[in-house]
Amino acid sequence: MAPIIEFKNITKRFGGTVALNNVSFSVEEGEVHCLCGENGAGKSTLINLCGGVFTPTEGEIWVDGQPEQINSIRKSERLGFSIVHQEIPLCLNMSIAHNIFLGSKEAVKGVFLNEKHMNEKTRELLDLFHLKVEPTALLESLSIAEQSVVQIAKAVYFRPKILILDEPTAALTNDQREVMFTVVRKLVKEQRTTVLYVSHRLEEVMDLGDRLTVFKDGQFVTTRKVSEVSMDDIVTLMVGREIDKSEWGKSFATDEELLSVKGLSCGKKFHDINFSLKKGEIVGLAGFVGAGRTEVLSAIFGADRPNGGEIFIKGEKVTIRSPRDAIRHRISMIPENRRDDGLITSMSIKENAQVAVMDRISDRGMLNKKKSVELMEHMIENYGIKIGSMDDGILTLSGGNQQKVVIAKWIGNDPEILLCDEPTRGIDVGAKSEVYSILRDIAKEGIGILMVSSELPELLALCDRILVMHEGKLTGEISREEASEELIMKYAAAI
Amino acid sequence: MNTKKIKLTNAREFGVFLVLVIIMVIMSVTSPVFLKTANLVNIVRQTVEIGIMAIGMTYLIIAGELDLSVGSLFATCAMFGGLLFKNQMFPATIVFFLVLICGIALGCVNGLLVTRVGIPSFIVTLGTMKIYRSFAYAIGNGQSISQFPESATGSWVWKLGAKIGNIPVQIFVMLILFVIAHILLKKTTYGYKVYATGGNDRAAHLSGINIKNTRLVAFAMMGFLCGIAALISTAYLNTVTTTSGEGREMDAIAAVILGGAALSGGRGTILGTFLGAIIMATVKNGMVLLNVPVFWQDGFIGIVVIIAVLIDTLFHRKDAKR
Repeated sequence: MAPIIEFKNITKRFGGTVALNNVSFSVEEGEVHCLCGENGAGKSTLINLCGGVFTPTEGEIWVDGQPEQINSIRKSERLGFSIVHQEIPLCLNMSIAHNIFLGSKEAVKGVFLNEKHMNEKTRELLDLFHLKVEPTALLESLSIAEQSVVQIAKAVYFRPKILILDEPTAALTNDQREVMFTVVRKLVKEQRTTVLYVSHRLEEVMDLGDRLTVFKDGQFVTTRKVSEVSMDDIVTLMVGREIDKSEWGKSFATDEELLSVKGLSCGKKFHDINFSLKKGEIVGLAGFVGAGRTEVLSAIFGADRPNGGEIFIKGEKVTIRSPRDAIRHRISMIPENRRDDGLITSMSIKENAQVAVMDRISDRGMLNKKKSVELMEHMIENYGIKIGSMDDGILTLSGGNQQKVVIAKWIGNDPEILLCDEPTRGIDVGAKSEVYSILRDIAKEGIGILMVSSELPELLALCDRILVMHEGKLTGEISREEASEELIMKYAAAI
Repeated sequence: MNTKKIKLTNAREFGVFLVLVIIMVIMSVTSPVFLKTANLVNIVRQTVEIGIMAIGMTYLIIAGELDLSVGSLFATCAMFGGLLFKNQMFPATIVFFLVLICGIALGCVNGLLVTRVGIPSFIVTLGTMKIYRSFAYAIGNGQSISQFPESATGSWVWKLGAKIGNIPVQIFVMLILFVIAHILLKKTTYGYKVYATGGNDRAAHLSGINIKNTRLVAFAMMGFLCGIAALISTAYLNTVTTTSGEGREMDAIAAVILGGAALSGGRGTILGTFLGAIIMATVKNGMVLLNVPVFWQDGFIGIVVIIAVLIDTLFHRKDAKR
């Protein structure tokens, strides 16, 4: 039997850059086929070729044994593709039900909207995904995690022949991820749906995948059976080298207290938070999405106004009313949502990297080009950002490099305290380990780091101490020596 | 390598420039008068009022805001100045500064309502467009003001409407303002903040930029520029009318959009706006030369705006897709 999708000598060029170079491989019906590779390896381009967003420069895509020109999104849908994108393309101002049935014939009865049908079907779907919200709830009232689940639910509802999932779990909690896996397995088993799965979390690849294909720099590397490889094998194939973990786990913490928070509260978001951060220390903030971790960082950074409690920096009480105040107190924050809060997409790489350090690249309000270029070269060298020209648009970079620009921007500010919110969200293994090295390097220089992360291995590898939150309260503090995933989960669930 | 890159990104202005050249070629073929120096000077002269207002509009649009009140703001400044020049309460120099302060104050009212009260600029300035127009009527009791006394017409302020050789002084004033505006936008931290605020105000705020003040300053600057335009117009025409400046807000916005700015904010240049303003004046001038009936003029401007933006979209569609 012919494979359901066959990529034959696919090349895709954008101007001078080659995103995919003569790639050939095939996907069998009813399998979960994982695509692995670092950011910029060409996975997203391949998915966009299937989705009809781009057309290949050379080569052919065969679907069900037929050569097909996928030149529009409609054509892609007609061939049975359904794609769950990394960025959530849903309308925030509309209800869940309306989003799910957007553009579907089922949404109407005659000339009117069939609200009853939409709401009933949506409720069934939400139950299937264990999401306890009303079908009529507006999407903007949901958390990012819940929005991702809605997007996946929408893709699943229309029973696609080929389901493509691009980093679907980036924002999900462990429970939501398990539920999604169950649904996907059911689809594969009962309807022989073919799944193309992209994830940076290799545990997921091992857990869900049947076969995997590895890309590197736009080239096809290999296709293997998941059962025949280990996680380390995959990493080596992807990165082309082994990652040195020997240095991880060493502490640079000193006794000097940098930041201390006493009784910090903010309405319903969090309550009575107490902790301290020492010079050179990396403290993790764990807990489920919605436990109030991001909100604590926002309050310290002045982006949210707490309504109770005190913040001390080096023993001195401070009032932080805005991010400007925080920056003046030498606090930096790497925000969770890179696209919305971290980057100015209309600006160049250099402009993005320096938007928080204007004082250092100007004399009395006049920008100094020489200083700016020097600082940028320094940043590129220190953080290993791979770029063509620093005047290129920020969106020409891969996700991992974009994140490095965001980090460079905030470290370039010369902070004493660095707050990071999910610093490695949606970036690949190679870039992750580079981010870890950067964070460890700056801790070594004496900067105190407070970091929120949902990736437990990351917290275990980096943090000297881990604070755990549950529903707005601190429920536990774990030292490096006693830390384990089980213990964190126990506190996070407040068992 | 690097210079090549810069030229490519400037393609945005190149598009407007192309449109301008096409229009000029068409005009010079169809009208023998068009390329005469006197006519070309006249075109630039006609650019002054819109051009100066479009400078302020460029800053606002890049910062993600809009000002619909500029036509009325201009009229209020003109009437206010006219009244003071006429009744000789203060020396002309003092009146000059009072008019600028009036412009800045009215601009600040817009800016404060937008940034401190949090009403969208479209709504605020739609309201103040009506309010400031009423101010203009009220100041003159519905009447125009003209026949200014010697204390005004003999003062240096009236030189703004005069000529040096064959070239009107106001052209120099406009060019100087464009140069200063370009430097402020491209070479200073304020300009950087304007781009960042319009590009992504959340990210800019988290980067420690005071986005409220950045926008407030842009509104104040808009008011200041309306004041200057009003003074120039008063000195040039020797009369001020309550209805002056009507529809100017849309002309100014059109010039900025022609210049390649994005209404969504974060993008635009002073050079582009300058070219956009020149295009508007050239088209108007051309239609007079070709004896096109007056009622077609606005229609043609509309067509040019849409065509220019269309060219821009075609030029940059590939970028957008990436």
